[in-house]
Amino acid sequence: MIRRVVKKRSCVSRGLLWGIVASAVIVASVLMPYKSHGGNVDDIVFQAADYHYKGKLNEAIIEFQKAVRMDPVNEYAHNQLGILYAKKERYDDAFREFSYVVRIEERNTFALLWLGILYLQQNDLDRAYETFQKIITIDRHNADAYYFIGSIYNIRHNPLKAVEYLKKARDADSEEADTHYRLGRAFHDLSMVNNAFLEYYRTLQLKPTHTRALNEIGWIYYTQGNYKAAIAEWQKIITINARDREAISNLAKAYNELAFSALTKGKKRDAVSYWRATLAIMPKNKAAQYYLKQYR
Amino acid sequence: MHRRSFLQLFGKGLLVSTAAGIVPSVVWGKSAFDYALEGQNLIQTGDYRKAVEVLKKAVELDPQSDWTYGLLGRSYRGLGKQTDALQAFRKAVRLNPEDVYSRMMIEIMTQKPIPRKRKEKAPLTPLESAAAQEDARMVQFLGADEGLSYQVKRVVLDPGHGGFDSGAVGYSGLKEKDVTLDIAKMLHKRLVYHGKIQSFLTRTDDYYVPLTDRTATANQYRADLFISLHSNASKNRNASGSETYFCSETASNKEAARVASFENAVLKYDEPYKKRKGYIDIEEVLFRLEQKLNWGESGKFAHKFQGRFKQGLPLKSRGVNSANFFVLRRTKMPSILLEIGFISNQRDEARLGKKSFREKVADSILQGFLS
Repeated sequence: MIRRVVKKRSCVSRGLLWGIVASAVIVASVLMPYKSHGGNVDDIVFQAADYHYKGKLNEAIIEFQKAVRMDPVNEYAHNQLGILYAKKERYDDAFREFSYVVRIEERNTFALLWLGILYLQQNDLDRAYETFQKIITIDRHNADAYYFIGSIYNIRHNPLKAVEYLKKARDADSEEADTHYRLGRAFHDLSMVNNAFLEYYRTLQLKPTHTRALNEIGWIYYTQGNYKAAIAEWQKIITINARDREAISNLAKAYNELAFSALTKGKKRDAVSYWRATLAIMPKNKAAQYYLKQYR
Repeated sequence: MHRRSFLQLFGKGLLVSTAAGIVPSVVWGKSAFDYALEGQNLIQTGDYRKAVEVLKKAVELDPQSDWTYGLLGRSYRGLGKQTDALQAFRKAVRLNPEDVYSRMMIEIMTQKPIPRKRKEKAPLTPLESAAAQEDARMVQFLGADEGLSYQVKRVVLDPGHGGFDSGAVGYSGLKEKDVTLDIAKMLHKRLVYHGKIQSFLTRTDDYYVPLTDRTATANQYRADLFISLHSNASKNRNASGSETYFCSETASNKEAARVASFENAVLKYDEPYKKRKGYIDIEEVLFRLEQKLNWGESGKFAHKFQGRFKQGLPLKSRGVNSANFFVLRRTKMPSILLEIGFISNQRDEARLGKKSFREKVADSILQGFLS
């Protein structure tokens, strides 16, 4: 879930009437559950959160700093400050905030998760791994912690362990496209193509423009000899992003290999048309340029 | 008569206007908005149970209202039903990512563990059944390694050059493309025979394969290691020996930069990664980590294979260098480039021309895997 919140970007808000009413409700009663900290802090926290979501990072930092001065044990405000510092690339400050939260409340898995992410960013795989494992001991349903551990195993090319953890991530929160994608990759690494296909398919159900999932589905088809279907998948990517270099490379490779295959079968005309297709997608492809000149 | 008609008309008019103005809520029932407002008032009075009842009706009538879901979240939270509250807030945010309150509540609530609800299992689709069967079949054959060490189960061997691109050509006419293909095939056979590591080739004959196709092949086979085979050349005819390269942002020395620019030919590099300010892309963090770790692993593999060359080949070891090679940069796994002798050096060329020497090279690389 943390990944979903981080990735959310602004979009146009819905109906004006609803918006007005919702705003009124929020302003009127927003931090009701937070009354224990005193009204002023709540208003400041809400204002800071609003700034943060709107991308006004400096303003958000100022407000959250005010909030933690008034309420030094406000875990939410410290965590938000941590995220804001990380966004501003003030990683030491971010570490300080998250570490402080963990000191005052060791079960704050949100802070632990961000500490893990910061370790990943510093390429400290072992400490990141330890931190995510710690989260699991606190919350055995924490999808994000499972996701990151699974991803670490994915990165270390240990697909079996990756499958083990990413399955847990999927079972804890099945609405994350990237969890399905990475699980698909792990299955794919184990040559379990049915499972890989299923997870890539689920990725696309959640996010139809997930080009990396489309790319991998293309490879499944291609390796199975279903070149037409593979090409169709990669062409879909081109319609989403005409400059997707991976899809372009894959298409060029597919067309070049099909051209050679046609040539060895004596189908020179087919070969020529495939090389033309290569050049249409990658105009400077040396192989297609050369062989087209030879056989045209 | 006139008065009666007037009264009749007046009566009808009154009926119509009343029906149009007031009756809808009686005849058609309350709107989603009405229920939501009622729910909001109930929250204010602290009657969360009733608020949930009313807000559920609002949701039924208008399942696209983030406002209603936000109120529902608050009501559940008031009742201490954390899981339901979280679900409602998440729904609100999905409907309207700008819903500050719901976003904030999700972040506050998920700071600590929340009890989960059991999900009901839906019947499996044909693809899900096939996947489940595959899952059951496969898992029993696999043993999981708990450690974080890098695992190599598949390797893609890339014989450099080919076809019209002969690579470097020796004094007596020996072509780099033929040497690399022969050694790659020998190594491939050994790996197949050995059986523990799956091996794939980027080309199996004398044809030209662009660099982009080679990296695509490595990605296609989901290789754990990519090895590009080359033999070196220099204007200095005395230069000889073997060296191993791996990818890095900057070349380890001038010579490494020269070799990389020769192997890269006229290729353009990728656009450097541009970080979006004020935004943390977690997938990008993982991607950068993967690339860094892969380059680190590449360095380790480079030292390992170069060590084997030093031990097993009668060639001077020129050590390990790093540079920005296109063919290494674009792969998604650790990758190294082996320069086996200098084809421009007469003695090295003579060695590379011999089958027995090529066999030794293949054996040395194989030993690198087995160690």
